[in-house]
This record gives sequence, structure tokens and C-alpha cells, in this order.
Amino acid sequence: MSTVKFAKSHEWARVEGDAVVVGITDYAQKQLGDIVFVDLPKAGTALVRAGQFGTVESTKAASELYAPVSGSVVEINKDLPLNPQWVNEDPMGKGWMIKIKISKVGELSDLMDETVYKDFVAKEAH
Amino acid sequence: MDLRKTPFYQKHLEHNAKIVDFSGWALPVEYASMLKEAKAARLTCGLFDASHMGEIRISGPKALDFLQRLTPNDVSRLAVGQMQYNLFTNQSGGVIDDLMICRLPDSFYCVVNASNKDKVFAWLLKNQQAGARIVDESDNTALLSLQGPNSARIIEEVFGQSVRDFKYMHVRSQILDKRPVIISRSGYTGEDGFELYFSERDGGFWWDKILSCGRQRGLQLCGLGSRDILRIEAGYPLYGHELSDEISPFEANLNWVVNGNKDFIGKAAMLEVKNNGVERLRVGFVMQDRAVPRQGYPICSRDKMIGEITSGTYSPNLDKFVGMAYVDVSFSQPGSQLSVQVRDRFYNARVERFPFVPIRTLREKSLKTA
Repeated sequence: MSTVKFAKSHEWARVEGDAVVVGITDYAQKQLGDIVFVDLPKAGTALVRAGQFGTVESTKAASELYAPVSGSVVEINKDLPLNPQWVNEDPMGKGWMIKIKISKVGELSDLMDETVYKDFVAKEAH
Repeated sequence: MDLRKTPFYQKHLEHNAKIVDFSGWALPVEYASMLKEAKAARLTCGLFDASHMGEIRISGPKALDFLQRLTPNDVSRLAVGQMQYNLFTNQSGGVIDDLMICRLPDSFYCVVNASNKDKVFAWLLKNQQAGARIVDESDNTALLSLQGPNSARIIEEVFGQSVRDFKYMHVRSQILDKRPVIISRSGYTGEDGFELYFSERDGGFWWDKILSCGRQRGLQLCGLGSRDILRIEAGYPLYGHELSDEISPFEANLNWVVNGNKDFIGKAAMLEVKNNGVERLRVGFVMQDRAVPRQGYPICSRDKMIGEITSGTYSPNLDKFVGMAYVDVSFSQPGSQLSVQVRDRFYNARVERFPFVPIRTLREKSLKTA
């Protein structure tokens, strides 16, 4: 079973070996509404934890995307910018955004598990 | 501050609307998806709660003179049962508000923007003349707008009468099911549609009836988000974006609204703008690159700022990013290349003629051939 971690800025990170696949959560896409634009970094870009890695825009507003861990971008979902609605339709599947090769493994433990994230969201909603 | 609620507030909540503050009103911005809502209004039919709009009734023997003096379009051309797009303009030729004037048998029914209603009412009182009575009916008026190709069939079922002879930009004041209703064939989408004004206490009755008749005809509840998308696609200006106290109708490309053969407040200043030639013009543009244009973004040409976006959106009916802007006149011709600054990057756009979608209102010409 794969491990999925969550950031307070509503990105998810699924651990795959020494890398994480990153996207935004179902809660985040629901808050944003219809996604019409996704801007992703190029492969090879170096990211620091909590640094901006891209932008997502819904019909309502533009939002920044933040890296859940430090590392370098090894792969991006190339088809996503032309199909931004995938973020709404399948935020943890087809709507994945980038794959980061982790440079500081310890940072993973600072992220939330699913149950903790669910509590976090429930509190934020009130 | 407590937000004002329309008679349909509970209905919106029952349909899981996302409620926002719009000019002090609690209104749905969307139910599930504003893109889906904007598509439905062009494919089948959309129902919009526009009860926040202001309704001001002008009556009395001098009502026509009064409106003629305050507006640039010729109100005397309206026969009873017709309506007209018009403006209230200030002394310096700017726009106080844009409005629809419906000529009813006993009065002129003026429909104004919610955000401007108090300003307009104060302006009317300030300029009031003997023989013109001004009544603000906004508080007890509900307004539903039904828009799209299926709206005529739904209206016929709801009210049990044919709309075959009901022309675009015409209005009827009637008693239906023992309730007073004003119906106009008009809207803010570019589609065939109807706007229905009734007493707020009858709101629930009509809402339920429209929904039950609309169910088989693909009726979709639509929020303010889709209303904005649809009016941008149709090329219609919105006060606070394309219109303001400081913008001339000649800059806003509303020359057709200004009738030079009558006198009205702001005429001299407006004609001076026209004769001197405007420096900026309202234009429509389509993004050539994938980027979301939004109000306030600068428009450039070779490092020089030549304009600013006033409205922008993703158009689900065209699958393009479109918008409106004020640009230097030398860039206002269709085909002119623009560069839109989004955050720290520049994206290509091109000036294109309004409307972006075919207008399908039933103008008299098309009625005759139908």
C-alpha cells in the first residue's frame, strides 16, 4: 500500500520510492471550483519545501501551488495544462501535477497523515 | 454586516449554492459548476435569481420629459409594451448607471444595477420635477431571469399562454394566477429569454412552478458566475467594469445609445469627447496563448502599457479565454495584437469583434422569417 501525505496548503504527496507524486486535494479543488488553468515547472527544476512550484487558476481566482518537500522535479503531468478539468474530476489520479525526487527524506514526517488532514480540513471549514 | 437576502435564499441553500456577497446581497455564485451552468444557458435553459436588481417606477404627466432630460437614448421612441437600453449620465458625460426602461401603460419601469440603486435613486430625487413621481419598488420586487433556447416553451407552460407574438425587447404587465407579473423578452446572455418581475411574496410560488415546468426541458439553476461569463461572451458591458462615472459612452462603444437630437444632462460634455476623438476604447479580445485574463491586468505593446483588462474569463462555450479591455484607440481595430501581463509573464491576445458567440435573441427581423 502506498503512503499518501498531506500539506497544510492542501497538496497531497504520494510516496513512490525516493520520490513523491504531488497534486492538490479533493477539498482544495472543491474550494477552488472549476479549474481552467494549470502552470507547472519544467523537469529538472529545484524546489524547496513550501516554495511555489506552479499556479492553478479556477473560474474564481488564481492560487499558488507549494512543494510539500524539497527536491527536484523529475516528471510533470504534461497533458494537464491542456486538460485542467482533470484536477476537478480526479484530483488524486489523472489530476496529478509533478513528481519530485526527495532531497530531504526527513521532511516527509512533517506532513500530515490522511486522518490528521481530515481533522485539519474539518476545522478549517468552520 | 448582515447580507440582504432575496426571496429565493432558502431555495438556493436547498440546491447547495455557494453563496457570496455581491453588493451587500447574499447570492449564489454557482451551484455546482459555473462552467456547466454557462453551457446550459446556451444549450437548454438557465434560471437566474436577479432580485438584487433595483426597480424604480416613474409615473405622472411629466414622466417622459423627466426621463428624456436624464438619459441620452430617445425614450419617446418607446411605445407602450416596449423596452430600451439606456443610461443615466452626469454633467461631465460619465455614466451614473446603465438601465432598461420598460414602458408600461401607466408608468416607466426602470431596472437598474443593485450596486448603483441608491446612487441612482438619489440622483433622480435631486433632479425631480413637478409631474414626475419616483417610486423605489426594489424592496418588494423579485426578479427571475430565464435564459436559453428552451425558455420560451417553459414560459408558455408556466403562464399558459403563447409567446409567439411576444417580441424581443417587449414587455407585458399582467395578472396571472391572480398575481401581478411583469414579463419582458430580454436578458443579459445573448440568448432568447425572459425576465419576470413579481411581488417578493409570490416568489416561492413562481420559483416552484418554473422549476417543475423546466425539469423536462433541461432547466439549470445558474449563479452570478455564469451570468458574468455569458454577458462577456455576448459582449455586454457591466457597470463597475466597463462603465463608470468617469467613462464616456463614446469610449464604451455605446455611441448607438446617444441620441444627438434631444437635450439631456451631460450632452455637451459627451459631444466634446466625441468631437475631440476618444483616446481609449472598449474592445473585446481573445487570448492566443493559454492564460486567464482578469480585471486589472495591464495590456502592453512593445514594453509600453496601452490598456487594461476590465473583464476576463474562460469561455466554456468557445473553449477560449476571452475578455474586454480599454485600449489606446490605435490598438482598437479587430486583429490588433496585444500582450497581456499575467503575474510576471506576457501572453498574446488579439482584438476581436463583439459578440464572441452568435446572438440568438429574437429580433423582429428573425421573427418575420420564422
